[in-house]
Amino acid sequence: MTHDHDHTEPHAPIEVDVSDGPDYFEVMVHALQELLVDKGLIDADEVRARLELIDSVEPSRGAALIARAWTDPAFKQRLLADGSAAIDEFGIDNYDGTHLIVIEQTPEVHNLVVCTLCSCYPRPVLGLPPDWYKSRAYRARAVRDPRGLLREFGTDIPPEVSIRVHDSNANMRYLIMPMRPAGSESMTEAELANLITRDSMIGVTVARLPR
Amino acid sequence: MPGTPDHGLSREPARLIAHQPHDVGGQPDGPVNMAEHELSPFEKHCHALLDVLAAHKLVNTEEKRRGVEDMGEVIIGSLTYYQRWAASAAKVLNEKGLVTTQELGRKMVDVRAQLAAEEQ
Amino acid sequence: MTSRYAVGDRVRICARYAPGHVRTPFYVRGATGHIERVLDKFLDPEREAFGINAGTETQLYRVRLNQSALWPGYTGEPIDTLELEIFEHWLEPA
Repeated sequence: MTHDHDHTEPHAPIEVDVSDGPDYFEVMVHALQELLVDKGLIDADEVRARLELIDSVEPSRGAALIARAWTDPAFKQRLLADGSAAIDEFGIDNYDGTHLIVIEQTPEVHNLVVCTLCSCYPRPVLGLPPDWYKSRAYRARAVRDPRGLLREFGTDIPPEVSIRVHDSNANMRYLIMPMRPAGSESMTEAELANLITRDSMIGVTVARLPR
Repeated sequence: MPGTPDHGLSREPARLIAHQPHDVGGQPDGPVNMAEHELSPFEKHCHALLDVLAAHKLVNTEEKRRGVEDMGEVIIGSLTYYQRWAASAAKVLNEKGLVTTQELGRKMVDVRAQLAAEEQ
Repeated sequence: MTSRYAVGDRVRICARYAPGHVRTPFYVRGATGHIERVLDKFLDPEREAFGINAGTETQLYRVRLNQSALWPGYTGEPIDTLELEIFEHWLEPA
Protein backbone atom coordinates (compact mmCIF):
# COMPACT_ATOMS: atom_id res chain seq x y z
CA MET A 1 0.00 0.00 0.00
CA THR A 2 1.54 3.33 -0.98
CA HIS A 3 1.21 6.51 1.03
CA ASP A 4 0.58 9.92 -0.49
CA HIS A 5 3.00 11.39 1.99
CA ASP A 6 5.19 9.28 4.14
CA HIS A 7 3.65 9.63 7.57
CA THR A 8 5.52 6.59 8.76
CA GLU A 9 8.80 8.48 9.09
CA PRO A 10 10.30 7.63 12.45
CA HIS A 11 10.72 11.27 13.31
CA ALA A 12 7.64 13.38 12.66
CA PRO A 13 8.22 17.09 13.06
CA ILE A 14 8.09 17.79 16.79
CA GLU A 15 5.48 20.48 17.38
CA VAL A 16 6.44 22.29 20.52
CA ASP A 17 3.07 23.34 21.91
CA VAL A 18 3.92 25.19 25.11
CA SER A 19 0.26 25.54 26.09
CA ASP A 20 0.14 21.78 26.51
CA GLY A 21 2.89 21.65 29.10
CA PRO A 22 5.28 18.72 29.33
CA ASP A 23 5.06 16.16 26.52
CA TYR A 24 2.71 13.22 27.18
CA PHE A 25 5.26 10.55 26.28
CA GLU A 26 8.09 12.23 28.17
CA VAL A 27 5.84 12.23 31.24
CA MET A 28 5.01 8.58 30.62
CA VAL A 29 8.66 7.51 30.50
CA HIS A 30 9.52 9.38 33.70
CA ALA A 31 6.45 7.92 35.40
CA LEU A 32 7.24 4.35 34.32
CA GLN A 33 10.78 4.69 35.58
CA GLU A 34 9.74 6.12 38.95
CA LEU A 35 7.17 3.39 39.51
CA LEU A 36 9.59 0.61 38.61
CA VAL A 37 12.31 2.09 40.84
CA ASP A 38 9.84 2.49 43.72
CA LYS A 39 8.83 -1.15 43.30
CA GLY A 40 12.48 -2.21 43.44
CA LEU A 41 12.37 -3.69 39.94
CA ILE A 42 15.10 -1.46 38.48
CA ASP A 43 17.66 1.07 39.72
CA ALA A 44 17.82 4.64 38.47
CA ASP A 45 21.60 4.15 38.23
CA GLU A 46 21.14 1.44 35.61
CA VAL A 47 19.27 3.86 33.37
CA ARG A 48 21.91 6.54 33.88
CA ALA A 49 24.68 4.07 33.08
CA ARG A 50 22.92 2.93 29.92
CA LEU A 51 22.42 6.56 28.84
CA GLU A 52 26.15 7.15 29.16
CA LEU A 53 26.94 3.98 27.28
CA ILE A 54 24.61 4.86 24.41
CA ASP A 55 26.17 8.31 24.18
CA SER A 56 29.67 6.89 24.14
CA VAL A 57 29.43 4.70 21.05
CA GLU A 58 30.07 6.31 17.67
CA PRO A 59 30.71 4.87 14.21
CA SER A 60 34.39 5.65 14.75
CA ARG A 61 34.48 2.53 16.89
CA GLY A 62 33.53 0.40 13.89
CA ALA A 63 35.92 2.35 11.67
CA ALA A 64 38.83 1.60 14.01
CA LEU A 65 37.89 -2.07 13.93
CA ILE A 66 37.82 -2.18 10.13
CA ALA A 67 41.08 -0.22 9.85
CA ARG A 68 42.72 -2.86 12.06
CA ALA A 69 41.35 -5.59 9.82
CA TRP A 70 42.71 -3.82 6.75
CA THR A 71 46.21 -3.73 8.20
CA ASP A 72 46.32 -7.06 10.04
CA PRO A 73 45.37 -10.00 7.79
CA ALA A 74 45.21 -12.51 10.65
CA PHE A 75 42.84 -10.25 12.61
CA LYS A 76 40.76 -9.77 9.49
CA GLN A 77 40.30 -13.53 9.20
CA ARG A 78 39.31 -13.79 12.85
CA LEU A 79 36.85 -10.91 12.41
CA LEU A 80 35.23 -12.57 9.41
CA ALA A 81 35.16 -15.98 11.08
CA ASP A 82 33.61 -14.82 14.36
CA GLY A 83 32.63 -11.17 14.66
CA SER A 84 31.59 -11.35 18.31
CA ALA A 85 34.85 -12.96 19.45
CA ALA A 86 36.96 -10.54 17.42
CA ILE A 87 35.28 -7.39 18.76
CA ASP A 88 35.72 -8.74 22.24
CA GLU A 89 39.42 -9.25 21.46
CA PHE A 90 39.54 -5.67 20.12
CA GLY A 91 38.15 -4.39 23.44
CA ILE A 92 34.66 -3.44 22.30
CA ASP A 93 31.89 -3.94 24.87
CA ASN A 94 29.21 -6.01 23.16
CA TYR A 95 26.71 -4.41 25.51
CA ASP A 96 23.52 -5.67 23.93
CA GLY A 97 24.57 -9.33 23.79
CA THR A 98 23.83 -9.69 20.11
CA HIS A 99 25.87 -11.82 17.69
CA LEU A 100 27.98 -9.93 15.16
CA ILE A 101 28.62 -11.12 11.61
CA VAL A 102 31.13 -9.12 9.61
CA ILE A 103 30.74 -9.33 5.84
CA GLU A 104 33.39 -8.09 3.46
CA GLN A 105 32.78 -6.28 0.21
CA THR A 106 34.58 -7.94 -2.69
CA PRO A 107 35.03 -7.04 -6.35
CA GLU A 108 32.42 -9.72 -7.14
CA VAL A 109 29.81 -9.05 -4.42
CA HIS A 110 28.52 -5.79 -2.94
CA ASN A 111 26.70 -6.28 0.37
CA LEU A 112 23.96 -4.15 1.92
CA VAL A 113 22.29 -4.40 5.34
CA VAL A 114 18.67 -3.64 6.24
CA CYS A 115 16.22 -4.65 8.95
CA THR A 116 12.88 -4.83 7.16
CA LEU A 117 10.92 -5.63 10.33
CA CYS A 118 12.22 -2.92 12.65
CA SER A 119 15.70 -1.38 13.08
CA CYS A 120 18.18 -4.08 14.12
CA TYR A 121 21.63 -2.56 13.84
CA PRO A 122 25.11 -3.35 15.22
CA ARG A 123 24.81 -0.77 18.00
CA PRO A 124 27.92 -1.80 19.99
CA VAL A 125 30.14 -0.97 17.00
CA LEU A 126 28.23 1.78 15.19
CA GLY A 127 26.09 3.52 17.82
CA LEU A 128 22.43 4.23 17.11
CA PRO A 129 21.08 3.90 13.57
CA PRO A 130 20.32 6.93 11.38
CA ASP A 131 16.66 7.86 10.81
CA TRP A 132 16.75 6.74 7.20
CA TYR A 133 17.80 3.22 8.19
CA LYS A 134 14.64 3.00 10.33
CA SER A 135 12.40 4.56 7.68
CA ARG A 136 9.68 2.66 5.89
CA ALA A 137 11.11 3.66 2.50
CA TYR A 138 14.54 2.13 3.20
CA ARG A 139 13.17 -1.01 4.84
CA ALA A 140 10.64 -1.58 2.06
CA ARG A 141 12.91 -0.92 -0.92
CA ALA A 142 16.33 -2.26 0.12
CA VAL A 143 15.25 -5.88 -0.34
CA ARG A 144 13.37 -5.41 -3.60
CA ASP A 145 15.27 -2.63 -5.37
CA PRO A 146 18.78 -2.51 -3.89
CA ARG A 147 20.36 -1.18 -7.06
CA GLY A 148 17.90 1.71 -7.33
CA LEU A 149 18.26 2.43 -3.63
CA LEU A 150 22.06 2.44 -3.81
CA ARG A 151 21.93 4.91 -6.70
CA GLU A 152 20.00 7.28 -4.41
CA PHE A 153 22.96 7.11 -2.05
CA GLY A 154 25.28 7.90 -4.95
CA THR A 155 26.52 4.31 -5.24
CA ASP A 156 26.46 2.74 -8.68
CA ILE A 157 27.17 -0.98 -8.72
CA PRO A 158 27.97 -2.37 -12.19
CA PRO A 159 25.78 -5.22 -13.47
CA GLU A 160 28.62 -7.77 -13.34
CA VAL A 161 28.90 -7.26 -9.56
CA SER A 162 26.30 -9.18 -7.57
CA ILE A 163 24.35 -7.32 -4.90
CA ARG A 164 23.66 -9.30 -1.74
CA VAL A 165 21.12 -7.85 0.67
CA HIS A 166 21.21 -8.99 4.28
CA ASP A 167 17.90 -8.68 6.12
CA SER A 168 18.87 -8.46 9.79
CA ASN A 169 15.63 -10.07 10.89
CA ALA A 170 16.53 -12.16 13.95
CA ASN A 171 19.48 -12.53 16.34
CA MET A 172 22.47 -11.61 14.18
CA ARG A 173 23.74 -8.08 13.57
CA TYR A 174 25.77 -7.16 10.53
CA LEU A 175 28.79 -4.96 9.94
CA ILE A 176 30.05 -4.47 6.42
CA MET A 177 33.80 -4.35 5.81
CA PRO A 178 34.29 -1.97 2.88
CA MET A 179 37.03 -2.66 0.37
CA ARG A 180 40.25 -0.82 1.09
CA PRO A 181 40.63 1.89 -1.58
CA ALA A 182 43.58 2.01 -3.93
CA GLY A 183 46.15 4.65 -3.03
CA SER A 184 45.83 3.98 0.71
CA GLU A 185 48.81 1.65 0.96
CA SER A 186 51.04 4.02 2.94
CA MET A 187 48.35 5.27 5.32
CA THR A 188 48.43 4.64 9.06
CA GLU A 189 45.62 2.78 10.81
CA ALA A 190 44.24 6.07 12.16
CA GLU A 191 44.31 7.66 8.70
CA LEU A 192 42.58 4.61 7.24
CA ALA A 193 39.86 4.80 9.89
CA ASN A 194 38.96 8.27 8.56
CA LEU A 195 38.14 6.75 5.19
CA ILE A 196 35.68 4.27 6.71
CA THR A 197 32.32 6.01 7.02
CA ARG A 198 29.26 4.76 8.88
CA ASP A 199 27.40 4.47 5.60
CA SER A 200 30.14 2.29 4.10
CA MET A 201 29.75 -0.07 7.08
CA ILE A 202 26.03 -0.40 6.33
CA GLY A 203 26.81 -0.91 2.65
CA VAL A 204 24.98 2.05 1.10
CA THR A 205 28.29 3.62 0.10
CA VAL A 206 31.90 2.58 -0.30
CA ALA A 207 34.87 3.85 1.71
CA ARG A 208 36.17 7.33 0.98
CA LEU A 209 39.08 7.70 -1.35
CA PRO A 210 42.40 8.99 -0.03
CA ARG A 211 42.97 12.62 -1.00
CA MET B 1 5.24 -16.27 -4.93
CA PRO B 2 4.52 -17.71 -8.38
CA GLY B 3 2.41 -20.85 -8.15
CA THR B 4 1.62 -20.54 -4.46
CA PRO B 5 -2.08 -20.75 -3.56
CA ASP B 6 -3.06 -17.45 -2.07
CA HIS B 7 -4.23 -18.81 1.32
CA GLY B 8 -7.24 -16.50 1.14
CA LEU B 9 -4.94 -13.48 1.25
CA SER B 10 -6.37 -11.74 -1.79
CA ARG B 11 -9.11 -10.49 0.51
CA GLU B 12 -8.32 -7.46 2.65
CA PRO B 13 -9.59 -8.71 6.02
CA ALA B 14 -7.29 -11.70 5.75
CA ARG B 15 -4.37 -9.53 4.64
CA LEU B 16 -4.85 -7.12 7.52
CA ILE B 17 -4.53 -9.99 9.99
CA ALA B 18 -1.92 -12.08 8.20
CA HIS B 19 0.36 -9.30 6.99
CA GLN B 20 1.15 -6.79 9.71
CA PRO B 21 1.90 -3.19 8.76
CA HIS B 22 5.46 -3.14 10.13
CA ASP B 23 6.42 -6.05 7.83
CA VAL B 24 7.23 -3.81 4.89
CA GLY B 25 9.93 -5.68 2.96
CA GLY B 26 9.17 -5.36 -0.76
CA GLN B 27 6.26 -2.92 -0.44
CA PRO B 28 6.21 0.04 -2.82
CA ASP B 29 7.59 3.23 -1.33
CA GLY B 30 9.20 6.51 -2.28
CA PRO B 31 12.71 7.97 -2.15
CA VAL B 32 14.62 7.65 1.11
CA ASN B 33 14.69 10.83 3.19
CA MET B 34 18.32 11.13 4.22
CA ALA B 35 17.79 13.83 6.87
CA GLU B 36 19.07 12.77 10.28
CA HIS B 37 18.24 14.18 13.68
CA GLU B 38 20.06 14.19 16.97
CA LEU B 39 18.09 12.24 19.57
CA SER B 40 16.26 14.40 22.09
CA PRO B 41 16.74 13.81 25.84
CA PHE B 42 13.35 12.08 25.90
CA GLU B 43 14.39 9.74 23.12
CA LYS B 44 17.70 8.81 24.73
CA HIS B 45 15.96 8.34 28.07
CA CYS B 46 13.33 6.11 26.47
CA HIS B 47 16.02 4.05 24.75
CA ALA B 48 18.00 3.63 27.96
CA LEU B 49 14.93 2.70 29.99
CA LEU B 50 13.79 0.08 27.49
CA ASP B 51 17.29 -1.41 27.41
CA VAL B 52 17.18 -1.73 31.21
CA LEU B 53 13.68 -3.26 31.06
CA ALA B 54 14.98 -5.80 28.54
CA ALA B 55 17.98 -6.70 30.69
CA HIS B 56 15.58 -7.47 33.56
CA LYS B 57 13.15 -9.21 31.24
CA LEU B 58 10.42 -6.87 32.45
CA VAL B 59 9.77 -5.94 28.83
CA ASN B 60 12.00 -8.07 26.62
CA THR B 61 12.93 -6.96 23.10
CA GLU B 62 10.35 -9.17 21.41
CA GLU B 63 7.61 -8.04 23.81
CA LYS B 64 8.49 -4.43 23.04
CA ARG B 65 8.34 -5.11 19.31
CA ARG B 66 5.08 -7.03 19.59
CA GLY B 67 3.59 -4.18 21.59
CA VAL B 68 4.45 -1.77 18.79
CA GLU B 69 3.29 -4.07 15.99
CA ASP B 70 -0.10 -4.58 17.60
CA MET B 71 -0.78 -0.84 17.57
CA GLY B 72 -1.73 -1.09 13.92
CA GLU B 73 -0.87 1.03 10.93
CA VAL B 74 -2.56 4.28 11.90
CA ILE B 75 -0.93 4.53 15.31
CA ILE B 76 2.43 3.28 14.05
CA GLY B 77 2.33 5.95 11.36
CA SER B 78 1.28 8.72 13.75
CA LEU B 79 3.78 8.16 16.57
CA THR B 80 7.51 8.67 16.38
CA TYR B 81 9.84 5.71 16.90
CA TYR B 82 10.40 6.36 20.61
CA GLN B 83 6.80 7.37 21.30
CA ARG B 84 5.92 3.87 20.09
CA TRP B 85 8.50 2.31 22.45
CA ALA B 86 7.10 4.24 25.41
CA ALA B 87 3.52 3.23 24.67
CA SER B 88 4.57 -0.38 24.12
CA ALA B 89 6.40 -0.52 27.46
CA ALA B 90 3.35 0.84 29.25
CA LYS B 91 1.15 -1.76 27.56
CA VAL B 92 3.38 -4.77 28.29
CA LEU B 93 3.98 -3.76 31.91
CA ASN B 94 0.20 -3.40 32.32
CA GLU B 95 -0.42 -6.83 30.77
CA LYS B 96 1.89 -8.34 33.36
CA GLY B 97 0.34 -6.43 36.25
CA LEU B 98 3.66 -4.74 36.97
CA VAL B 99 2.40 -1.21 36.34
CA THR B 100 -1.37 -0.87 36.30
CA THR B 101 -3.40 1.77 34.49
CA GLN B 102 -4.30 3.31 37.85
CA GLU B 103 -0.73 3.47 39.06
CA LEU B 104 0.56 4.91 35.82
CA GLY B 105 -2.28 7.39 35.51
CA ARG B 106 -1.72 8.79 39.00
CA LYS B 107 2.04 8.92 38.61
CA MET B 108 1.77 10.70 35.27
CA VAL B 109 -0.34 13.43 36.93
CA ASP B 110 2.35 13.87 39.60
CA VAL B 111 5.24 13.83 37.12
CA ARG B 112 3.45 16.30 34.84
CA ALA B 113 3.01 18.72 37.72
CA GLN B 114 6.66 18.27 38.71
CA LEU B 115 8.00 18.80 35.21
CA ALA B 116 5.71 21.79 34.64
CA ALA B 117 6.97 23.38 37.85
CA GLU B 118 10.57 22.78 36.74
CA GLU B 119 9.87 24.43 33.40
CA GLN B 120 8.82 27.70 35.17
CA MET C 1 24.45 -30.51 18.79
CA THR C 2 22.54 -31.70 15.75
CA SER C 3 20.66 -29.40 13.43
CA ARG C 4 18.14 -30.67 10.92
CA TYR C 5 19.73 -28.86 7.97
CA ALA C 6 23.32 -28.42 6.83
CA VAL C 7 25.06 -25.78 4.73
CA GLY C 8 24.05 -26.19 1.11
CA ASP C 9 20.74 -27.95 1.79
CA ARG C 10 17.91 -26.74 -0.40
CA VAL C 11 15.05 -25.50 1.76
CA ARG C 12 11.68 -23.87 1.40
CA ILE C 13 10.44 -21.21 3.79
CA CYS C 14 6.97 -22.31 4.87
CA ALA C 15 3.96 -20.54 3.39
CA ARG C 16 2.05 -20.14 6.65
CA TYR C 17 0.11 -17.02 7.60
CA ALA C 18 -1.23 -17.21 11.14
CA PRO C 19 -1.20 -13.92 13.09
CA GLY C 20 1.34 -13.27 15.84
CA HIS C 21 4.80 -11.81 16.34
CA VAL C 22 6.78 -13.45 13.56
CA ARG C 23 10.38 -12.75 12.56
CA THR C 24 10.00 -14.52 9.21
CA PRO C 25 9.09 -11.64 6.91
CA PHE C 26 5.98 -11.93 4.75
CA TYR C 27 7.93 -11.44 1.54
CA VAL C 28 9.94 -14.70 1.91
CA ARG C 29 7.07 -17.03 2.80
CA GLY C 30 7.03 -19.88 0.30
CA ALA C 31 10.44 -18.99 -1.15
CA THR C 32 13.06 -21.63 -1.93
CA GLY C 33 16.77 -21.21 -1.33
CA HIS C 34 19.64 -22.93 0.42
CA ILE C 35 21.28 -22.93 3.83
CA GLU C 36 24.18 -20.46 3.84
CA ARG C 37 25.13 -20.86 7.50
CA VAL C 38 24.05 -22.85 10.54
CA LEU C 39 23.85 -20.51 13.52
CA ASP C 40 23.13 -21.21 17.19
CA LYS C 41 19.92 -22.06 18.95
CA PHE C 42 17.94 -19.11 20.25
CA LEU C 43 14.71 -18.64 22.13
CA ASP C 44 11.69 -18.64 19.86
CA PRO C 45 10.81 -14.93 19.39
CA GLU C 46 7.16 -15.84 18.72
CA ARG C 47 6.92 -17.07 22.31
CA GLU C 48 9.28 -14.46 23.80
CA ALA C 49 6.86 -11.86 22.52
CA PHE C 50 4.41 -13.15 25.12
CA GLY C 51 6.87 -13.41 27.98
CA ILE C 52 8.15 -16.98 27.51
CA ASN C 53 11.81 -16.40 28.35
CA ALA C 54 13.06 -19.97 28.58
CA GLY C 55 12.66 -23.46 27.24
CA THR C 56 12.01 -22.69 23.57
CA GLU C 57 15.54 -22.85 22.13
CA THR C 58 15.26 -23.25 18.37
CA GLN C 59 17.91 -23.71 15.69
CA LEU C 60 18.49 -20.59 13.58
CA TYR C 61 19.91 -20.64 10.04
CA ARG C 62 20.93 -18.14 7.39
CA VAL C 63 19.18 -18.83 4.12
CA ARG C 64 20.26 -17.48 0.74
CA LEU C 65 17.63 -16.69 -1.87
CA ASN C 66 17.91 -15.62 -5.48
CA GLN C 67 16.33 -12.21 -5.98
CA SER C 68 15.03 -12.94 -9.49
CA ALA C 69 13.15 -15.95 -8.15
CA LEU C 70 11.87 -14.00 -5.13
CA TRP C 71 10.37 -10.95 -6.84
CA PRO C 72 8.16 -10.97 -9.93
CA GLY C 73 9.72 -8.50 -12.35
CA TYR C 74 12.91 -8.02 -10.30
CA THR C 75 14.75 -5.06 -11.84
CA GLY C 76 18.27 -5.94 -10.68
CA GLU C 77 20.65 -8.58 -11.99
CA PRO C 78 20.14 -12.38 -12.15
CA ILE C 79 23.18 -12.86 -9.87
CA ASP C 80 21.69 -10.77 -7.04
CA THR C 81 20.89 -12.58 -3.80
CA LEU C 82 19.27 -11.98 -0.44
CA GLU C 83 20.18 -13.58 2.88
CA LEU C 84 18.22 -13.66 6.08
CA GLU C 85 17.80 -15.65 9.29
CA ILE C 86 15.13 -18.32 9.49
CA PHE C 87 14.22 -20.52 12.46
CA GLU C 88 14.05 -24.25 11.87
CA HIS C 89 10.28 -24.49 12.35
CA TRP C 90 9.84 -22.18 9.36
CA LEU C 91 11.80 -24.48 7.03
CA GLU C 92 11.02 -27.64 5.11
CA PRO C 93 13.19 -29.58 2.67
CA ALA C 94 12.87 -28.41 -0.94
